[in-house]
Amino acid sequence: MKILMFHLMPYAHLDMSFSQKYRAAWVVLPNTYFDPKKGHELYNRYLDELELAAELGFDGVSVNEHHQNAYGLMPSPVVTAAALSRRTKSARIAILGNAFCLREHPLTLAEEHAMIDCITGGRLISGMVRGIGAEYFSLGTNPAYSHARFQEAHDLVVEAWTKPGPFSFEGKYYHFDYVNVWPRPYQQPHPPIWAPSTGSIETIEWAAHPSRKYVYLQAYSPTQSVARYLNYYRECAQRMYGYTASSDRIGWSTPVYVSDTDQKARDEAKPHIEILFNKLLRLPFEMLFPPGYLSAKSLKNMRTHKRSVSGQEHTVDTLIEQGIIVCGSPDTVRKQFIDTHRLLGFQNLLCLMQFGTLPRELTERNIRLFAREVMPALQALTDKEYGGMEIRAAE
Amino acid sequence: MRLTERVRGDNKSRKPQREMMLQQTEIEVGGCKIGMRRGGQGERLLFLHGAQGLNGHEPGLEALAAHFDVIAPDHPGFGQSELAATVDDVGDLALFYLDLLDVLNLDEVHVVGQCLGGWLALEIAIRNASRLKTLVLVNSAGLRLNGVPRADMFACSEDDLLKLLFAGTGGSAWLKAWRETPDVEDIYDRNRAAAARYSWSPRLCNPKLDRWLHRVAVPTHIVWGREDRVIPPAYAEALKDRIPGATVTLVPDCAHMLHLEQPQAFVGEIAKFIRSAAR
Repeated sequence: MKILMFHLMPYAHLDMSFSQKYRAAWVVLPNTYFDPKKGHELYNRYLDELELAAELGFDGVSVNEHHQNAYGLMPSPVVTAAALSRRTKSARIAILGNAFCLREHPLTLAEEHAMIDCITGGRLISGMVRGIGAEYFSLGTNPAYSHARFQEAHDLVVEAWTKPGPFSFEGKYYHFDYVNVWPRPYQQPHPPIWAPSTGSIETIEWAAHPSRKYVYLQAYSPTQSVARYLNYYRECAQRMYGYTASSDRIGWSTPVYVSDTDQKARDEAKPHIEILFNKLLRLPFEMLFPPGYLSAKSLKNMRTHKRSVSGQEHTVDTLIEQGIIVCGSPDTVRKQFIDTHRLLGFQNLLCLMQFGTLPRELTERNIRLFAREVMPALQALTDKEYGGMEIRAAE
Repeated sequence: MRLTERVRGDNKSRKPQREMMLQQTEIEVGGCKIGMRRGGQGERLLFLHGAQGLNGHEPGLEALAAHFDVIAPDHPGFGQSELAATVDDVGDLALFYLDLLDVLNLDEVHVVGQCLGGWLALEIAIRNASRLKTLVLVNSAGLRLNGVPRADMFACSEDDLLKLLFAGTGGSAWLKAWRETPDVEDIYDRNRAAAARYSWSPRLCNPKLDRWLHRVAVPTHIVWGREDRVIPPAYAEALKDRIPGATVTLVPDCAHMLHLEQPQAFVGEIAKFIRSAAR
């Protein structure tokens, strides 16, 4: 199994009384809450944490994109990925993801990704996402065309990476007379493309298509949902497309916290993880799902269940109980991952080792303890340890 | 169609004494099925609904049907209408409606547009007003005025939206009751998605529209709920300044949804203006 350390780079110095005045730490929270001097320290500290993970043998380090918020300070993950490029030697640099379709010019991102891929000698993983609903308020992109634009931006970028230029691209949303991206990506035909999501049937069916076979990454979900969606990828490959999905095509992304004992881990993680889920990640329904962002069917599901991760008040105990986070002693955490792998067989694991206000010392200890006590056993896991999934025979 | 029958059935069960003037029908425009309410007698009046869509049997439209032959389609993607492959924005929508007027072969039609529908009416009028007789703009979108803040309908919760759309509680109670009828949630979601499709960015306006408003060559009246925060009354004055010969009435105790909140003022203003324009 490949293990990556993921960072959100939250604004940990946020005055948490903001929630009495503002509906969310997104879109409407004034940027006067951000102190650039503290930001300077945080960015450098967070990059140190990712670099430490790379030194300690994580297979990759990962960053992502969010706009106009205190939850994650990377409106351009390309910037942080570029900073990591020269400070890491063999780890993968995973941008999970970039929202190509939010841009009027997805080719600028295609160029930047190709640059990072060349600089790192082919260590880039390109994640493609639509961005969360709030992004459509922040950047003004029309959510009603989001699915269609996502697919077209993807097609444009993959063509730009693979087809000899110059050529013209005539889409519905994008029109370019000269597509001729310099540099071309180092990895051929192009960097691996991953599709991170908090659970979307449409995304899974798209990612699993035989012409793509992209890695689907399930984020922020109770164990049951992780199981449902990761198994759906395999089912979809088998039933819809007639091939057997390889286990390295699926992954799980989750916050992880390790300390000496289960109780100590809970106590240490508690205030910081609760801030992540109850303050930073909290979004009103209409901001999370602007009109047209979800298909009618998905929106109906969402309304019926109203069980979105950002919709309820969490405690460290409920988060652990539901399997949304993995937290405990090294033995507990190792066992939980091995057990879940036996059930689901995913070959990629993305660990959020810093969350909310978790301070530098605890984050570093978390990374070191995980790398020493947990990670080697997980990196050794292969399909041999996967129990396999019974696909109910359709025939 | 069955859905509509059910909704109407619910309405009837609440108010059995009331006979509804507008009946649900369907037409086809360029291969796209369009749901439409039609009823009443008199000169033809095309009602172009706003970003909230048509909400059951709206009191303003029912009252209009006492004076006019009211034709109220659901725009593509709203209510009972399919999405049209040819329509991505309000400019496309205007051309689609010119096709619709051809299909219905309507001449000398009075056009009334509220919110998004007012914007649409303007986009139609600057392109081709040959089938139009008069224009009434009700709390109309379309223009952009720098420095006049507008509330964002799309950022509101369902409850906050009701508070935003109405000055008092009567109209919002009516709308809330309608939205709580079975199956309406689907229509609410459809309407929101369709409204975003046409008006998300730039929000509820075409920044170039004001270059062409001198081309609105039909008698035009502007009616506005004075408490509107979605499109404040400054926009009524701005439209008046840009449209040759236009007149304005501001209606007190009323916000964005004039036709629901003050149906009598809505109908009175329209009927009075159309009578005076005929002279």
